[in-house]
Parts: sequence; C-alpha cells; structure tokens
Amino acid sequence: MGNVTMKKVYYTLFFVLLSVYGLSYLLPAKDTQFHYSDAELRATALGRNMNSIPSEYSELLKLVDSEENRLSKAKIELGRELYFEKMLSGDKQVSCNTCHMLSKEPQDKERYLKALLTTPHAPKSDCRICHEKDESGTDRQAFALNSSDKPHPYLLNTLSTLNAALAKYQTWDAGIESIEDQVGHSLIDSFEMNISVQKLEKRLRADKNYALKFELAFKDDNETVSLSNVEKALGAYLRTLVTRSAYDEFLDGNDSAMSSKAKKGMANFINFGCKGCHTGITVGGQTIQKFPVRDYNSIIDITNSFNEVSRGREVGTLGLNIAMRHNFPFKNEGGFMGMNEEQLFRVPILRNVTKTSPYFHNGEIQNIREAVFIMAKHQLGMNLSNEQIDEIVEFLKALEGDIVEYEIPKEVRQ
Amino acid sequence: MKTVHMKIYIILMFLSGVLQMSIFNLSWEYFSIIQAIHIVSSAFVSFIFLIPYVNRHTYEYMIVKKANSKSGIILGLILFLIIGSGVYLFLVGNRGSDIYGLISYYTHLYGSFILMLFLFIHVRQKIEAKNATLGVLALLLILSAPDSLQASDKTSSKLFNIELQEGVDRYHTEDWTNSTKCKSCHSDIFDQWADSNHRHLTESNPYYMVLENLAAADKGEEFRQWCIGCHNPSALSTMQGRSTHGMIANDMPDMIFEKGSKQLVDDFAIHGNSKLEQGVSCVTCHRITKTTSMGNSSYTLAIKSREKYVYEEHSFGLRAWLGEKFINANPVKHKESYSNEIYKSSAYCASCHDEFLPESKKEIVSTFKEWEKSSFNNPDDKTKHKSCIDCHMTNLVDGEYTPLEGQSTDGGEVKKDIKVHYFAGGNHFLSGLKNPINEDQSLQLLRRSAELDVALNASALEVGVKNVGAGHHLPTGTSDFRELWLEITLKDADGRVILERGKLKADGNLGEDARPYMKVFGDESGAPVGLFFWRYKKLLSDTRIAAGERRIETYKIANFERLKKPLSVDVKLNFRIYPQWVTDVVQNAYPQLPSPPVVVLETLKKEL
Repeated sequence: MGNVTMKKVYYTLFFVLLSVYGLSYLLPAKDTQFHYSDAELRATALGRNMNSIPSEYSELLKLVDSEENRLSKAKIELGRELYFEKMLSGDKQVSCNTCHMLSKEPQDKERYLKALLTTPHAPKSDCRICHEKDESGTDRQAFALNSSDKPHPYLLNTLSTLNAALAKYQTWDAGIESIEDQVGHSLIDSFEMNISVQKLEKRLRADKNYALKFELAFKDDNETVSLSNVEKALGAYLRTLVTRSAYDEFLDGNDSAMSSKAKKGMANFINFGCKGCHTGITVGGQTIQKFPVRDYNSIIDITNSFNEVSRGREVGTLGLNIAMRHNFPFKNEGGFMGMNEEQLFRVPILRNVTKTSPYFHNGEIQNIREAVFIMAKHQLGMNLSNEQIDEIVEFLKALEGDIVEYEIPKEVRQ
Repeated sequence: MKTVHMKIYIILMFLSGVLQMSIFNLSWEYFSIIQAIHIVSSAFVSFIFLIPYVNRHTYEYMIVKKANSKSGIILGLILFLIIGSGVYLFLVGNRGSDIYGLISYYTHLYGSFILMLFLFIHVRQKIEAKNATLGVLALLLILSAPDSLQASDKTSSKLFNIELQEGVDRYHTEDWTNSTKCKSCHSDIFDQWADSNHRHLTESNPYYMVLENLAAADKGEEFRQWCIGCHNPSALSTMQGRSTHGMIANDMPDMIFEKGSKQLVDDFAIHGNSKLEQGVSCVTCHRITKTTSMGNSSYTLAIKSREKYVYEEHSFGLRAWLGEKFINANPVKHKESYSNEIYKSSAYCASCHDEFLPESKKEIVSTFKEWEKSSFNNPDDKTKHKSCIDCHMTNLVDGEYTPLEGQSTDGGEVKKDIKVHYFAGGNHFLSGLKNPINEDQSLQLLRRSAELDVALNASALEVGVKNVGAGHHLPTGTSDFRELWLEITLKDADGRVILERGKLKADGNLGEDARPYMKVFGDESGAPVGLFFWRYKKLLSDTRIAAGERRIETYKIANFERLKKPLSVDVKLNFRIYPQWVTDVVQNAYPQLPSPPVVVLETLKKEL
C-alpha cells in the first residue's frame, strides 16, 4: 500500500511541476507596454515634474536667479572667461575646463582640425583633441586627476558641469548644495585646483584685464576681486550652462521631436519607476538615494539565469556565486561608499548622460546599456529585456542636448 | 535497477541519436537541443546506471549462473564500442583530420543499429535472428539515404548598403560573437587575423580614428555611418553611431603595437560578448549571406539567424566547454553556418573594397572595378582567372604563392590550400607594427607587383614601370593617401651625380620633382582636398598604373654629349603607405605612432 501512495505522491508532484512549467507557455503574454498618445505622454511627464529647459532667458532667470547671486551679462561673461583660466589653479596648469571639457568656441566647425594641428606632441594621447568637441562638460575618463596627474583617493568620476546649477545637490555624496559653494570647494581642494584664497586673489588683482572685469561685474562691492566673487561669477556662468534637447522640444509641444522608440522609452522610464529618483527639470540631481537598493550577492543567484543580457557580468548567474563580494554590482575601485559611508548617493543627472560615459561613481561601467540594466536590476528589481533597454537608451539619447545660447540683455536688473 | 529500465534507456538514447540523422531534417532549434540532451544524458545514464548494471548482469549470469549467451557477449562488446566511441566524440570530437574521430563517428552511428539488433535478439529470444537482421538492415538503408543538396545563396542586385537579416531592425552587443571565441578551435587562423588590417580597422588604427572624427566634424555626426559601414559593422548594426576606443581605467590601451590582439582576448575573459568587438571580426565576414558588388558596404549581415549549438554562445565555464564539445562531436552545421560559396568570388570583397561618395557617387576607391577590367578577371579561362583571394589570401614564401598545407581547425582536416587570413595588401605598416609575419606577407605581395626597365633614348633617360603582379591599379585602395614613385640617381663615369629625382625632403615629404603614381582629389575650386577626401568634386590627377600597363617616365639629361660615359643609373621603385603630411596630423593625436618607412619594391642598376 505504501508503494502505491508514494507513487501517487510522485505523480502528483510531477503533474504539478509540469503544470507550473507548462502554464507559463500556455497563458497569453502579459502586455507590459504602456500605450500613450503623444499628448498623454506629455501630460503625464509634465504632471510628474518633468519640465523642459526654457529657451528664453527671462524664463531661465525665474529658475536660476537668486538673491545671493543676481545674474548679469558682465558677471556671466566674466565667469565664462574664468572657466577657461588656468591662473585659477595653484600651479597654473589646469582650468575648470581641463576636467569639465567644453569648447571655447563651440560654433567653430574647424575646431577639431585646429586642435589636431596645434596640439604639441606629448608622450601620451591628449583626450581633448577628440573629446573636447563632445561638449560634455566632463573629461570622459574613469576618474578625475589633479594637475600633477595624481588621482583623487576615491577615484571619483568627474561630473558634468552642464545643467549642474539646476541640481539641488552637487557631488557624488551630495555634500554641497549651491553651485557657488561647489566652485569654491573645487578651487581650494588639494585634489582639484589646489590654490589658496590669498594666492587666487593676488593673482587676479594683479591682472589688469580681470581687475577691470571684476570692477564691472561687482560694482556695488568694496572689494571686487575676492574668492566669493570668483564663486559668484563662475556660478553665474554655470547657471546659464544648460542644454536643450529633443526631449525639451517634445515637452514644449513638438510631437515629432522624439522618435517613437524614444517615446516608448520615456513611457518605460516613467512607468518602471526610473523617474521616481531621476526627477525634476534636470532628470536627476534632486534627491539622495541608496545604491544598490537590492543586493544580489547571495551564494546562489538565479536572477540572471534566463536573461541573455547578463552574460559575462559580475552580477551573478545561475549557480554558485563565488566571485568576491562587492558592495556594488561592479568592482569598487577607490573604495568610495557615498554619503556617511552608507552607500547614499546624489541621484545623477541624466541629461546628456549618453555623452558622459563611463558610468557610476568610479567609472567602472563603460556601456550605457549595461548601466541601464544594472540600475533596473538593483534599484527596481526588474530584469529588463533587450528591447526595453533599447527604448530607454533611445530616450536617454533624446536627453542629449546643445548648450543654449541665450540672448542676455546688457543689464538685467538694477 | 530493473532490466526493463535499461532497455528503455538504451532505446531512448538510440531514438535521440537517430533523430539527429540528416534524413529527418529536423529544424535546427530541435536538432541542437536533441543533440545536447542525447550527449549529456547518455553520458550520465551510461556511467551511472548502464555500466554498473551490465557489470552486475554479466557477473550474475556468466560467473554465478555460468550461462553461455553468445548474443549477450556480442551485445556487451557492441555496447562497449558505442560507449567508447561516444566518449571519444564527446571529448575529442570528429573534427576532420583525425581518423579515430571518423571511426568513432561511424562506429557510433551504425553500431547503434547493430546494438539494437542484438538487444532484440538477446532479450527476446523468440524473435528470429534473421527477421531482426533484415529489419535493422532495412531501417539502416532508409535512414542513410543521401541528403538532398541545398541550393546556395545567390548574390542580390538590390541597390542597398548594409542590410540586416529579415525581421530585425538592429542587433545587440551580445549577438556579436567575439572572435576570441573562435580562437579556441581555429587558433592559427585567429593568429593570422589578429594582427591583420581587417582586425585593426577601427579603434587600434590611429589614421582611421582621426579621419572618422574629422569627417564627423566636417559633415556632421551622421556622416560617420559612411565610414563605419565597412570599418565597424558591429557598431553600425548595434546603433552605436560612432567608433569608440576601450579604456583601462584612465588610459587608452595601446593597441598599435600589441601582438595577437591581446586587448581583445583579455577583454573577452572579463566581459564575454557583452563588450562589443569593433572592426571586422570573424563573424562579420563569415555571416555575410548576400552581397552586391556596388560597394559602400553593400552586403547583408545575418548575425542572429545562425544555427547555433547548445551553449555555443557561452563565454565561460562549463557551458562554454560543453558548447565546444557539442560542435566537435558533429561539426557539419557549424561549418555550414560560417561558410558560403560567395566568399570565393571577387564581388564579395567588392561590397567594401569599392567606395564612392554617397551623394555625388564619385569614386573614392574602385579596386573591384579595376579588377573587373583587368586580365585577372577571366571567367572563361579558369587557369587565367584570379580572384581577390587567389593573391590576397594565399600564403607567400620567398615571393612566390605557396599554398599553405595544414589545418584551419585545430585537429581538423588537412587541406592543400588554406586560405590564410593575413589579408596581405598594401598596408604592410600598421600590421607590421604588431607582427613581422604579417608585414612580410604584405611586402612579398607588394614586391611581386611591378617590374622596372631603363634605357637611353637620344639624350633622355627612359624608365619603364610595368604593373605585372596586381589585378588592379598600382596603387589601389585609398590611393589619394598612397605614394608610389621612382627614385633615380644618374652618375657619370667619375661617379658624379648628374641627375637625381624622387628624394624625400628634410621634413619627410615627397619632393616636388617626384612623379608619384596616385590620385589627387580637388574640391569645387580645384584646390586639393588634402585630408578631407569626402570633399572631392574634381579629379585633379590620376597617375596610377593599370593592371598590365607599362608606364614610361622620361628624364631629359642636360649636356648629354659632354658627359663622361658610361653613365650608371640606379632606379628604385619606392612605396610609402601614408604621406608624411598625413602622418604628421595623426601623430598629434597619437604621439606614439611612428612614421611609416619608405619601402623599396624594385631596384634596377644599369650602365648606359
């Protein structure tokens, strides 16, 4: 009798297993695509705090002008000049532009050829020759170097200056809030510009061109050349360093600005929950979040077994996960652990993300698709399909924009 | 374990094996899975159940009960042979050259029928041996009917550039099998290709990277696609839009000098197929299913529709190892997946080796069209017909085509003429920085191309240059960036130099007195376009030498009568892959790049 009962148990078990496997093939696939008309998509985005960068200067002012640092043409132009000024660094070797690369004359079509022809032979390839024309506001390297080519101890990836002034927090660990404070920090920091306040002020005062321009920009101050005014001038320039993209055109009402694939990606971006953190006009930079939210460093990891995208990645496959445990889904070169060592990070700004590879705080991930895959898996607990990643990447490409050349009136406010 | 279980196991293994025979013509999806299940489960069942069972069974009946069963002995022997051959096929495979592989294959295939025969005879003594034999023979005959031949792809005449397989609008990085994957079985071919110019068309080619960027800066980002259609098809088909270079932390890997594509191999060990291989990889050429000779990447790339064995695409570990074993056990489909009759025709190469401006259709490179008009294109007389691969993929020894005899697969069939993958051609320089063997193959080819002659005609020196070896112009390819010229030194009887032409200037550029054989493109106003060859509107000059043509250069000798005779002349035919002014620009971005040397293709010394 016992045998017969056992057999029944076996058969039942077999039947249950078969049904569980079979059912997934028999049931119709769930339609996970969200269908929006263009107007609905736009309304949804606008209703969720996803706004466009203004194309008019007066509109921009409403966003970026502040009591502490009133914008004026003179200030902005001074800031722009200072951005490219190597005198601001202790050893006069680097300017803001060294790490936050922008072209001095972005309209010049011949700028690449000129860079090719005029750059002196160096022992190593100069990235600027090819990458300055990316207009990315960053150095395209994995981690930042100071003027003597020493890496920052945390090996942090340089953030872009584009749209940075619109973010609520600066830096990877959200340690700084206003862009002016960030400027001051970068000037003094021994791993960045490495200059003392006295030296900086002395140098600028001695330069007739700057003395005059500071005089013009800061008429009301007694002492026009000061660290705080350098911060304000650079801050003023950075506040106008914003980009407009196909995404902005779309939000402003132009249905044909974005491809249908990018629109699908935008719907995914909203509905999967990406926009929960990458929020606001900058599409990021407004909140502090933990990364990774979900840790898959268990001994047996089956999360990626059926996903072809995951092959060859250090984020676990079916079987024993005997690889070294990392706090992040990649090697944590530099050992940076975020704010309070708690893996808390300022959410990165996604505008222009497609031209600021490599990704994450130490630039360990080189490929945008891989970055999207990791984010979905570890922040949302979703294994995205190739198509879903394609769509989101297409949307991210639509966030790539050009610096807006605003018509700045001579004197904005008295 | 019960006897009946053993019978079921054997029958299941037999059936899963028989299903793989060509007569069933199973769709590849089913075939590959059945093959994998057959191999893995047979190994499992044989070693865990069958062998212990047979041992016990034999002991019980032949030792203890002292039974004498002839059919049992034969069955046991055949089973031993089947398991042995199966193990050999699994671990070593039937790769072509080794006779044991072939024996194992046929033993395993036909032995299994005999096994079934004796299984019936042994277990069902009442079945008459004769009937069973007839039955099995009939089954064998039916199943071994010859395979019907499959029609090969015809070249399409559609006027499209790069096309993907039907129903696919893009590929993904993971679809592109890294060439390192091929290395494990095709190591010799991989090594030839790894330092060839096909491999180094993109990130490791400084000239290309500078020019792609220049084209984008001049004509807009989208214009890059014109370049990457041929230089970087994997990037184009995965919607990358531009060629990129890898990074090791903050440094650009120095791939200009490294041998054996070390960076590629190292990257594969870490990233598998999730990091895109750029340039022309193994699957790029070996998964082209259609071409037209139009040029500008006029080919169809079918990357995803390959017939892949189970685990073929796995990059690491046990599954990658098993994938290789599954291929080796029965590599027919693997070969079919990566070869195609069209690969032998020149029109196949034409899809990239002819290049024109997309708007004006002005010809930049017309190597295929030159070949078409040459005597090398002689389809009526097969003995005189020479296609691209006859010169560019045939091994050279001491300047002579010496077909390489050997194996293209490790342990594979020995072939009389292996098509070598050095892709010898004009650019000896960039491949030579990596590997002297690749450089030597190109130089041997270059040195077969021309012959010199020299004579006095009245008071002038006449030098003839004949294109004897190339089935296209000399030089061809991007011949606005190629320098081929005569260097001449004429001395009188006292050794005084009376005439000198074709020397380099101090800055490394060609002197004005040289008469280089090349194309010069001009823009609308007739000024040379320099680096910006896509601005070509007017052809300023084309002095290249067509296949079979003899060009005569005449040099007037001043005061000829008064010279002390005999005169001695030293003629050199010089070649340089890039002019110095091009290299100068590239070296600004890539300071480690050396300047290409001037190589002497032919020399002639004569007293006149």
